[in-house]
Amino acid sequence: MNQTPLSRRRFCQLASSGLLLGPSLMRGQSSPTRLTAREVVERIRKNVGVPWRTPTADEFKIGDPDAPITGITTTFMSTLDLLERSAAAGNNFVITHEPTFWSAADVVSDLRDDSLYRHKVNFIEKHKMVVWRFHDHWHARRPSDGIFAGWNRAMGWEDYRVKSDNPFSIQYVIPETSFEELARDMQKKLKLRSMRLVGDPKLRVSRVGNGGHYILQCMPQLPKVDVLLVFEGREWEAPEYIRDAIAAGEKKALIQLPHQGGEEAGMDECARWLQAFVSEVPIKFIPSGDPFWIPI
Amino acid sequence: MLTGQVLLDRIQKNVGVPWQSQRSDGFSDGILHGSADTAVTGIVTTFTPTLEVLRGAVASRKNTIICREAPFYSRGERAPLFWRNSPAPPKEMTDNDPVCRAKQDFITQNNLVIIRLVENWDARRSDGQLRGLVRALSWEKFHVPAKSLDEYDPRNVYFQLRKNSLGRLAQDLQTKLKIHGVRVIGDAVSSVSNVALTHGLLLVADSERMLREQGLDVVIAGDAVEWEAVPYFADLVTAGKVKGLILIGQQASEEPGGGEMAAWLKSFISEVPIEWVPAGEPFWVLS
Repeated sequence: MNQTPLSRRRFCQLASSGLLLGPSLMRGQSSPTRLTAREVVERIRKNVGVPWRTPTADEFKIGDPDAPITGITTTFMSTLDLLERSAAAGNNFVITHEPTFWSAADVVSDLRDDSLYRHKVNFIEKHKMVVWRFHDHWHARRPSDGIFAGWNRAMGWEDYRVKSDNPFSIQYVIPETSFEELARDMQKKLKLRSMRLVGDPKLRVSRVGNGGHYILQCMPQLPKVDVLLVFEGREWEAPEYIRDAIAAGEKKALIQLPHQGGEEAGMDECARWLQAFVSEVPIKFIPSGDPFWIPI
Repeated sequence: MLTGQVLLDRIQKNVGVPWQSQRSDGFSDGILHGSADTAVTGIVTTFTPTLEVLRGAVASRKNTIICREAPFYSRGERAPLFWRNSPAPPKEMTDNDPVCRAKQDFITQNNLVIIRLVENWDARRSDGQLRGLVRALSWEKFHVPAKSLDEYDPRNVYFQLRKNSLGRLAQDLQTKLKIHGVRVIGDAVSSVSNVALTHGLLLVADSERMLREQGLDVVIAGDAVEWEAVPYFADLVTAGKVKGLILIGQQASEEPGGGEMAAWLKSFISEVPIEWVPAGEPFWVLS
């Protein structure tokens, strides 16, 4: 917590004056700098280590960037449930890796008559929230992609990374295990509920490679690895590719993770990173979580 | 003689809609691999021509495959559509890829003809994919179609099931379709009855249209994009507007349509055997 604690005397003054209405107001009162979301983003731009690109998805999606913020939530996806939990935690500034309004570019022009859109906007406005997307530049962060730095830490795989300059060709050599044991370990560490697998559970595996989302990334990667990881990909791409590889006699396997499984830990990393240069308000990673469950 | 071309001409004549064969990007319906002059020895319909499906076709002396997905893990799009899909891998990549080479060699050596039939099949007034899925689930008696439309018009997606929990409904789908990787959004104990049953990739615009039907509890689809319809449904559930979303997988949602297609082909092709061969679910899940 980076919030300046209220002195007991100040607490009593606020309480008796009726000003102590809730955690957000408390923070607003105790923050002499009245930090805004725009100022936080300015600091992010200075610290990210790469020139800011345009066009970019990394923009304010809703809310007033110049209003004082009460706290920062970092998350994988600013779902309605996440926004509710962020508001309850007293954080009105949400930094999300993925979209808020259900399309890559957060296009809202088609949503004017959508009652869910209105519901979400009303919630955000009522709680004076601001949402900013941090996608392109967090991946581009120097010295390393912030998303995969977080993922490596969550898996405890920092030391297993094979050195490579190609950001689309991330590989690991892990202690040999069975495909099923690897999947179980990953399910537990990444808190997943909807992992889907292709391949022999008993296959001995050690070389693991990131296939991203696309077959274009999977094809050059497969000859170098035993197990391919895909973080959301279309079902006619990697799963069918690996199914055929196995039918052709190759000893390969695929872990098809939900998108969140590949990237959520990177927003935990983001919260840690922000704390180095934002100290006026509390900063908390709140997971939006695996959206699915599978009946078993 | 029934050649690949004669077969395609006959499909075009019988499909009942003006033939569309010019997509601006990606594969169009028609012969994707093999020669139009090849004599057809037998026909296999399937969701996707996996290496196993192709081996089975050859073993049963059928050299022609009619499918929805193409054999090389791409729909041929040169650029991702809204970042959902991969751009098609370039030829030099597939030419050097051992998996693609093995499959290409098998197709060439066995003189196979691979025909894509998607847009024109889906443009028919009666949706064969929907009908196949309904029959696979034995849900005919629960169907609530608009009487002004064909019973299996693509818009006739509504079903009134016996009251059940969302979790039990998802398990029922697993059992009936013999699949594992059924992904669910929503509370397992929610009570559900009014269902929209769809196949393939669910988009937000489709969802908005379906939700105009009052009292809809749950939508069933093949797959959905995890930054589009997936969080859209997560948010709908949080807002209390629906009970859930069940994704049964592209393959499971589209495969039974292959059976309908085989039956339809038999109505105007009698020279060669025709068989529906399901590709099966690619996935397994941890228990």
